Amino acid sequence: MEDLEDNTTVFSTLRSLNNFISQRMEGVSGLATPGSSQSSLQIQYQQRVQLEEQAGQIHSKSQLLQVEREKMQMELSHKRARIELEKAANTNARNYEREADRNQELLTRIKQYQERETEAENKLKEQMEMNKSYKKSMETMSKKLQEKESKLAEANETITVLKGKISELQWNIMNQEMQMTSQDSQKQELMEQLDVQHKKWQEASQQIQTLQASQSLLAEYEQKIKDLEQKFSQQEHDALIVKNMKAELARFPKMERELRQLREENAYFREMKENNGLLKEEVEGLQRKLERYEKVQAQLVTVELENEKLLGRLKSWEKLDQSTGLNIRTPDDLSRQIVALQQRELALKEQNSTITNSARILEKARQQLQEEILRIQSQLLDEKKKREQHEALVRRLQKRVLLLTKERDGMRAILESYDSELTPSEHSPQLNRRMREAEEMVQKLHAHNTELELEVEMKILKSQENTAEQSTVITKEEVDALRLKIEELEAERSKLEEEKRSLEMKLEKLTLQGDYDPSRTKVLHFSMNPASLAKQQRKEEQQQLQEECERLRELVRVLEGGGSIPGSLEGVGNFQSPQEIAELKKQVESAELKNQRLKEVFQTKIQEFRKVCYTLTGYQIDITTENQYRLTSIYAEHQGDCLLFKASSSSGGKMQLLETEFSRTIRELIELHLLHQDSIPAFLSALTLDLFSRQTVA
Amino acid sequence: MAKQLGRDQQGITLRGSAEIVAEFFSYGINSILYQRGIYPPETFTRVQKYGLTLLITTDPELKNYLNNVVEQMKEWLYKCIVQRLVVVISSIENNEVLERWQFDIECDKTAKDESAPREKSQKAIQDEIRSVIRQITATVTFLPLLETACAFDLLIYTDKDLAVPEKWEESGPQFIANSEEVRLRSFTTTIHKVNSMVAYKKDSFP
Repeated sequence: MEDLEDNTTVFSTLRSLNNFISQRMEGVSGLATPGSSQSSLQIQYQQRVQLEEQAGQIHSKSQLLQVEREKMQMELSHKRARIELEKAANTNARNYEREADRNQELLTRIKQYQERETEAENKLKEQMEMNKSYKKSMETMSKKLQEKESKLAEANETITVLKGKISELQWNIMNQEMQMTSQDSQKQELMEQLDVQHKKWQEASQQIQTLQASQSLLAEYEQKIKDLEQKFSQQEHDALIVKNMKAELARFPKMERELRQLREENAYFREMKENNGLLKEEVEGLQRKLERYEKVQAQLVTVELENEKLLGRLKSWEKLDQSTGLNIRTPDDLSRQIVALQQRELALKEQNSTITNSARILEKARQQLQEEILRIQSQLLDEKKKREQHEALVRRLQKRVLLLTKERDGMRAILESYDSELTPSEHSPQLNRRMREAEEMVQKLHAHNTELELEVEMKILKSQENTAEQSTVITKEEVDALRLKIEELEAERSKLEEEKRSLEMKLEKLTLQGDYDPSRTKVLHFSMNPASLAKQQRKEEQQQLQEECERLRELVRVLEGGGSIPGSLEGVGNFQSPQEIAELKKQVESAELKNQRLKEVFQTKIQEFRKVCYTLTGYQIDITTENQYRLTSIYAEHQGDCLLFKASSSSGGKMQLLETEFSRTIRELIELHLLHQDSIPAFLSALTLDLFSRQTVA
Repeated sequence: MAKQLGRDQQGITLRGSAEIVAEFFSYGINSILYQRGIYPPETFTRVQKYGLTLLITTDPELKNYLNNVVEQMKEWLYKCIVQRLVVVISSIENNEVLERWQFDIECDKTAKDESAPREKSQKAIQDEIRSVIRQITATVTFLPLLETACAFDLLIYTDKDLAVPEKWEESGPQFIANSEEVRLRSFTTTIHKVNSMVAYKKDSFP
């Protein structure tokens, strides 16, 4: 609207300008004065210029406004476009996502289809393979068929052959049948012959039987003959024996006589034997005595000889006294002299031993001194050797020092020369070369030096070896010291070995027991292992048993209390077989029912019986206490009239009447019936009649 | 036997050695359970192995447990991180350990799977295993009677840094308080060496 207003203002100002210009033109043309025309033209020109300027300004303002408006519109349109673009972008994005999803779906579907394709291909392949295999099997089957057909053809051929054979065989059979008939006829003829032969055979057999019977009879007779002959021979033997016996019997009395004689001789001989034995013992004893006496005689002879010898010796000993000149008359003196001599001998021996001991000590001292001398000599030699070694070392070192000084001088000279040379010019490669040469020289000299030292050492060693042989004695002391050291070390070693052994044993024992190093190993086991399962089972069992125990204790308490078994505990009793319990319960119920029925029946019967007794006998009998019976008559005048009877015996056979008020009134009846007649039934019936009569009369 | 003849020609590899040792443990543990009467004798059936008639259990739960443990042992033997297997026999009532059968395993760690198989014949290894199992059977003569009901547990001593698998847990070593130990024979496949020993509680009566 502003634009329109601006436009209208522009147009209106333009129109006003045009109007003004036209007016001015008319005004100008109307006037037509030159002088004023110039000023009016100028004024018009200025006015026009001003108007044009205004118009230009207005135009520019309007253009600005337009531009601004356009800009606003552009911005708006930009915003709208942006919004729309964003919407479009969102929609595009969503489309894109949808497209992407669809893409993925399609891809997955493609994959699936590809997989299905591959599967189908695989199946195809398998099918093809199966086809091939089927074809192969078909081929084999066809081959088999062919073989079978060939076999069939062969079989058919064989069948024809066989049929020919069959016809031949049939022809043969016919022939054979004919032969059979002919043979049958032959057979019949033969049968007839057989019958004839059979009859003959039977006759022959009969004859044989008769012959056999006669033969058996013959045999029997022969046996009898044999028996009789045997008996005859035995009898002959017996006759001979009897004859012999008779001869022997004739000899019998002679034998008896001889026997008696022999017995007598026997007894006589036994006596003689005993006597002989005794005499033999005596003889032996006498012989022994004889022997002893002979021995004694011989001893006597020898003793006499000795006696003579001893007497001779004694005489010689006695002569000694005269020969030696000592104061010896008796052997005692001699023994004393001998003892004295022996004592002197002992003293001399002691002196001898002391002297020898001193001699030995002196020898030992001498040896020790000799050893000391030797040791000192060896030390001397060692010192000499060491000194020589040191001198050699010194010499070597001096030589080395000389060489080193020479080297050093050389090196110094070289360095000085290099220093002197360095200042004018730099010859670095020459310097390096010279350095290297100098180093090589030095190394060579070192090597030469070491070789020389080795040679010297070898020479020294050789000289040492030569001297070592001479100085074995000298080094004995060192050897002893070394030996002592060795012994100590060995003792230590053995101790350490023992310790080691004991530690090894302990370690072994621990490993056997199962010890382990916790820093390097750990012990694992399966969580569900049988030991833990067994423990759990045991716990559960224990719990179950405890629960059972408690339940049973409660049950026992209830039962002891005598209360009915609550339903909750009835279940406890089900540990036995429930069948037994049900049966027992049924039995108990039936027994109780029976009891009850019997009780009722008894009650009714008892009551009936009592009523009958009452009506028939006229007395109601009640048991008051244990053995007392109260009788009340039907015709009693008063309610409390009763008789008391007491059973004296437990079975109730004998009854005694007790005193009651009523019994005092009927004393005559009691005296009559009970005391005189001693009959309770009579008394009771008399009482009934009496009461009845009283009743009816009254 | 044909498979083992084939192995014989090839020599002993690390995996083969682990299988042999695991198999030995399986049959050895079964023998111990039968000889010591941990399970009733009628639950055992006879098989032929190592040239002997051995008895193995038919109880499915026990079989399952033993298979689990032996399979795990095979893996650990292959990795050479197991040091000992112990069969602990304890009384159920008071959890007292009565016997401990311990098998120490020394593994030659230089024999990895890539190295060449070692020369030792199957027959020699079988003979050694047979003598060990015979000795286990013979030890029953001097071991004290197990009068109470007992249960057993298998403990495995491994390296400290091993990750404990699922279903396994750490346990104590379950020593016997006052024990006598006897060292039994050992056998070796040149890659694994198994030393056997048994420790039992000393009787209170001399």
